[in-house]
Amino acid sequence: MESTTLARTGVISNLRALQAVISREWTIFMRYPSWIISLFIWPLIFPMAYLLTARAFSGPDNTGLLQFQAATGQSEYIGFIAIGTMIWMWQNVVLWNVGFALRNEQHRGTLESNWMAPTWRFAFLLGSSVPQLVSMLLMLGVSTLEYTLFFGVRFEGSLWLSLLVILFAIPPIYGLGFTFASLVITAREANAFVFLVRGVVMIFCGITYPIAVLPGWMQAIAAWLPQTYIIRAFRTAALSASSFDAIAPDLLMLALFGAFWLCLGYTIFKWMERRARQTGAIGQY
Amino acid sequence: MSDWAVVTENLVKKFPQRAQAAEKTEAKKKSFWPFGKKEPRPMFTAVDGVNLQIKRGEIFGLLGPNGAGKSTTIRMLCTLLEPTSGRAAVNGFDVVKQANEVRRSLGTVLAGERSIYWKLSGRENLTYFAALNHIPPAVAKKRVDDLIERMELKERADELVEKYSTGMRQRIAISRALLARPPILLLDEPTLGLDPQAARNLRELIVDLQKEGHTILLTTHYMEEADQLSDRIGIIDTGKIIALDTPEGLKQRIDQAEVIRLEVSGWDDKIGAQLRSVAGVDTLTPRKLEQDSQWEISLQTANSRAILPVVVEKVNHNGTRLLNMNIVRPTLEDVFINLTGKALRD
Repeated sequence: MESTTLARTGVISNLRALQAVISREWTIFMRYPSWIISLFIWPLIFPMAYLLTARAFSGPDNTGLLQFQAATGQSEYIGFIAIGTMIWMWQNVVLWNVGFALRNEQHRGTLESNWMAPTWRFAFLLGSSVPQLVSMLLMLGVSTLEYTLFFGVRFEGSLWLSLLVILFAIPPIYGLGFTFASLVITAREANAFVFLVRGVVMIFCGITYPIAVLPGWMQAIAAWLPQTYIIRAFRTAALSASSFDAIAPDLLMLALFGAFWLCLGYTIFKWMERRARQTGAIGQY
Repeated sequence: MSDWAVVTENLVKKFPQRAQAAEKTEAKKKSFWPFGKKEPRPMFTAVDGVNLQIKRGEIFGLLGPNGAGKSTTIRMLCTLLEPTSGRAAVNGFDVVKQANEVRRSLGTVLAGERSIYWKLSGRENLTYFAALNHIPPAVAKKRVDDLIERMELKERADELVEKYSTGMRQRIAISRALLARPPILLLDEPTLGLDPQAARNLRELIVDLQKEGHTILLTTHYMEEADQLSDRIGIIDTGKIIALDTPEGLKQRIDQAEVIRLEVSGWDDKIGAQLRSVAGVDTLTPRKLEQDSQWEISLQTANSRAILPVVVEKVNHNGTRLLNMNIVRPTLEDVFINLTGKALRD
């Protein structure tokens, strides 16, 4: 025998493995040039239908905007719609990319070879999410720039408060993605659930309108969805000169939602991991 | 340290049958209401009480047809699957209770060539899997270079794997398994899909790895491969080990037998029935050859001279024509036929 095994155990080794997953995912991501579309073109195209509808409803002399201003407290209707659609796109991309991260590995045929390594299994999901998060943060930045340049949106709020909202938005959005990722491995098909969730976010969270226009029962449901708080806090922080106090209640709710969804995501991942060993789901297509 | 590299005791794996495969009960067919008391799902037994003891440093071949339970056994040993009952230990570690220690002791190549990333280069793949196997970066770099050199991939190590041939991908997959220098290697159908030259090279590599001290558990449905490489062979069928011995030991079991191989065109099952009824014919197994309408018929008998004239006479009927004939020593395929009454390729 040449010598004993070269594998070394420990926290540092697990962190290096996590770093390797992030690096692998980023390298593969950069080798598919379609990311240029999601980064530069999609943020401009997607909200266009809503913006043009809003322009049509505002009337030739923009009198309709007074109605909008009274309901939202915002005069910047393009920014209002742009922020709602940006958050919706973020959640949508997380559901498709993070939610299907393990399933995509399964399709590639690499999930089993990863799973046989003596490393922390959650690193595969966590590591796959990081490049995706970086690309989404880039998309938010590019979108903001494009709305300012092409639509003349004035983001008059605080950059730091906006970044704080994004930071608090990450745990609930990705916690939901982790939960999805584990369920997709078990169910093997989850397109219908993705459509359902993004439909619910679109209708209940007010991506293009204030939730005040919704009937009471719909507003009650909206109160249980973290995207409602993300959109509201982001609009408050980015579009008008507001203090931290104005967004603090929403940040608190996001912290609670974040803790809940991350715990749920991790718990379901552990459950899936055990169940997959019993049923052989890891190797099935 | 345990004397055995791999031990399994009454290992069983059952899977719930898929809804469409499981026949619905009469009660369920009639019931409109989908809830209420559920009947237990019918189970399919993929591995049925397998007992193995694999010595350190040996090549152990697990030979059986597709669906015999070879891959399921491998998947339980490499911790991808949990046994339904029984016990398995790798390098002295229990596959359920000490799964991470088992993973550190093993290098596994599963069947198929998609266990590596096609959008990464060969070198990037190995560097990535080295990190997953917790090999320190400085050691990993040298190890990756050494393996690339050994597998003769130096010229193309920085090209994307999607541009590689099947044989090159398999060499990267094997390098991945060797990265952490594990004492035990599990190779599931390693030559499947390879061209004859690549398969020969791989078999030479397996022999070299044994000389370096690795214990190798090899599954295959190629009898020549099992015969050539294995120190001992377990023949598996319908989830059970039906024979376990050295290749010579297995063949000696039917050493008194001879095998008449007939190559015929236009095979008719009625002739098969007639030949089976000839006194002295133990088994008869037809196998269709790749050429149109040509068949290879294997007859096991204790005395070929006595039955040969009758066999030749019965074959040339109903449009069937004898093209070639040999009397040969039994192979592992014949052992399998003798044990199960069917060919490995069935």
